[in-house]
Amino acid sequence: MTKWTSNNGVITRRQTLLGASALGAGLALSGLGAPALRAQNRPIRFLNCETGKDSLAFFAKAAQEYQEKTGTEVIVDSVPLAETFTKITNAIRAGQPYDVANVGFIGHVLLLAEQDQIVPLNELTDEYEWGNNILFPIDDKVYWYPFDYNLALVYYRKDLYEEHGLEIPNTWDAFAGNCEALMEGRRKGCLFPIGSNSATNWMSFGFMWAEGVKLFDDQWNVLLDNEEMKPKAAAYLDFMAKLYPMMPPGALQASYGEMLTNLVAGAVAHGSYAGRVYEVAERENPEMAANFGVMPYMDSAGEQKAVSHGYDGWVVLKTDNTGPAMEFMRWLTTERMVEFLHTAPVHFQPARLDIYENEEWQANPLVQKYGEAIEVTRGLITDPSVVLTSIDTQGPEPDVRPGTVFEAFTLPEMLQNKILRGMDSGEAVDLAAQTMRQLID
Amino acid sequence: MLPGFLAVGVIATLVLIVGPAIYAVSLSFYDAPSLTSEPVWVGFAKYGELLVSAEFWNALRNGFVYAGLAIFLQVVLGIGFALLLNQRFFGRTLLRGLAFLPYLLPTVIAVLTFKWMVDGSLGIVTITMADLGLPPIYWFETETASMISVIMISVWLWTPFVTTTFLAGLQTVPQQLYEAARVDGAGPVRRFFHVTLPSLRPILTVIILLRSVWMFNKFDVIWLTTQGGPLGATEHLPILSYRKAFALYDIGSGAAVATLSFLVLMVAVTLYFLLFPMEKAK
Repeated sequence: MTKWTSNNGVITRRQTLLGASALGAGLALSGLGAPALRAQNRPIRFLNCETGKDSLAFFAKAAQEYQEKTGTEVIVDSVPLAETFTKITNAIRAGQPYDVANVGFIGHVLLLAEQDQIVPLNELTDEYEWGNNILFPIDDKVYWYPFDYNLALVYYRKDLYEEHGLEIPNTWDAFAGNCEALMEGRRKGCLFPIGSNSATNWMSFGFMWAEGVKLFDDQWNVLLDNEEMKPKAAAYLDFMAKLYPMMPPGALQASYGEMLTNLVAGAVAHGSYAGRVYEVAERENPEMAANFGVMPYMDSAGEQKAVSHGYDGWVVLKTDNTGPAMEFMRWLTTERMVEFLHTAPVHFQPARLDIYENEEWQANPLVQKYGEAIEVTRGLITDPSVVLTSIDTQGPEPDVRPGTVFEAFTLPEMLQNKILRGMDSGEAVDLAAQTMRQLID
Repeated sequence: MLPGFLAVGVIATLVLIVGPAIYAVSLSFYDAPSLTSEPVWVGFAKYGELLVSAEFWNALRNGFVYAGLAIFLQVVLGIGFALLLNQRFFGRTLLRGLAFLPYLLPTVIAVLTFKWMVDGSLGIVTITMADLGLPPIYWFETETASMISVIMISVWLWTPFVTTTFLAGLQTVPQQLYEAARVDGAGPVRRFFHVTLPSLRPILTVIILLRSVWMFNKFDVIWLTTQGGPLGATEHLPILSYRKAFALYDIGSGAAVATLSFLVLMVAVTLYFLLFPMEKAK
């Protein structure tokens, strides 16, 4: 008989075979138990759309920390914001839905809610105070967790204002005057996008909101071309046509990248964007960063101010993993919220008001450095007299109809009809209103 | 019974091409605001809406203008460059390599480079023109300029392919034909029209066919530059289809545009084959 020896003495082949059998049975049993174990710890699939370097690093670290803490794996996929909805719906369709997703467009949140694909998040949102017009509740149910505003603001060059003795304008004429005064050499007075893109939707209609234009009434009838709104919208178009010669060639093609570059390089004296300008300038052209000031959009008469939404938030999808996903969201939004916001500290303008008082958030060097601008933007989301709206949030309640108008670029085309085709302003407004009716019909 | 390897090919074709195509066509008969919503059967309603809409006919016209002009320029320039590169001169090999370079560039890189070069404030072309005292060119700022710009980019990107193909063809033309034509007193122009062009006819037929299909379906250049604007001036059927399906989330209309685009192309290709049969081309 073949014998093997161990430190304790002789082991027979029979004993070895018995031991191996027992081990095999044990492994088999553990294998049988594995699906149940796996079900308890199914990975949480998270679709992220914040693709900045620091945000990506944050999610990688957060996923690791969460797994260490709870044993639950978090798989983070990242795609550009524009591709989010397609990715979310494709994943659902493919039977592999994400458990949590980042959405930057309230129309998509509403569509997902209508289709019963996402769950209310009141248990996470109710305990906090929020800035104006950000939760978009439907029958008191909040379907997303907004983390920032990204308000579109008007940036101006403080150094040039000082040099030319200019004051912050309160009227369209004053603003146009300042733009004209600051044109010098290759530097243009301002840049507001006019192309059919989301940048135009976001950055160029603040002046129109300040003028008091509303797109829909309480019954979702299009108001744009009625007696009250049409003259205001037409006046806005005349104003933009006045600004156009003070813009660099390329306003039609300007999107986020062009706007940032023009501002940070000093190629324009005024432009629009959210806090990212400060962060990019800090990195690319630090001297310029100190020169920027921000202001809201103004109306023609100096009576009203407005800013445009550019919000972002997370939704939790209705999957067989919703419970763990909610737990993860609770952890993310309580334990790691500030750390996440610090990945773009000035750009991610907090939607939750308690964050502004949070010492950890305040301690960030960029938050401290740009405290003045942050205070201005904080005021804009808490001051009820400031019009805080956007094309896709117009109307009496959250609805997909304004979202359709947003996505169809109806208002940018109204701008182009005026500026590029030289259409009469009233006619351009009529045409836009007609298109809107066709879209929402 | 099909041999194994053939069966694999047939199955792969059915799964990867025929299946999705049938699915895409079937979507055009439904109304659905997203991929996850319950689709509602609407029959030919989406086609009806499209065929009476100005945007469809505008997109169709733009597609023909874009593809037609781009192909014309690619072929004319491609033949010209091929003739030039077929001559014997110092550095010919290097020049041939350089001429092919744009075709090797990823479209996204080429297009974004072009966009930044002509950027209204910071582009090197804009700045150089300003330094020379020339007025700025509004590349994408008017409807006509935008169409010209996307055609220019397409010509720059894909003329090298035509050049290379014709160059290969030129090298197969028997030199005796040229010598005989010379003896008969034919000048360069007559030699081109009576020797070169007839010899290249099979290649020309295939090139025009291929480039027509490719350009008519070309999405990337227009999407990366104008996204179909301004005011729909560069919107052709692929862009319209994408916009309907993935921006407006009207999946049925998007699929209907794609189906109509496919049918238009089928008709065009059939007519082309009738006018220029391959047998005759031989």
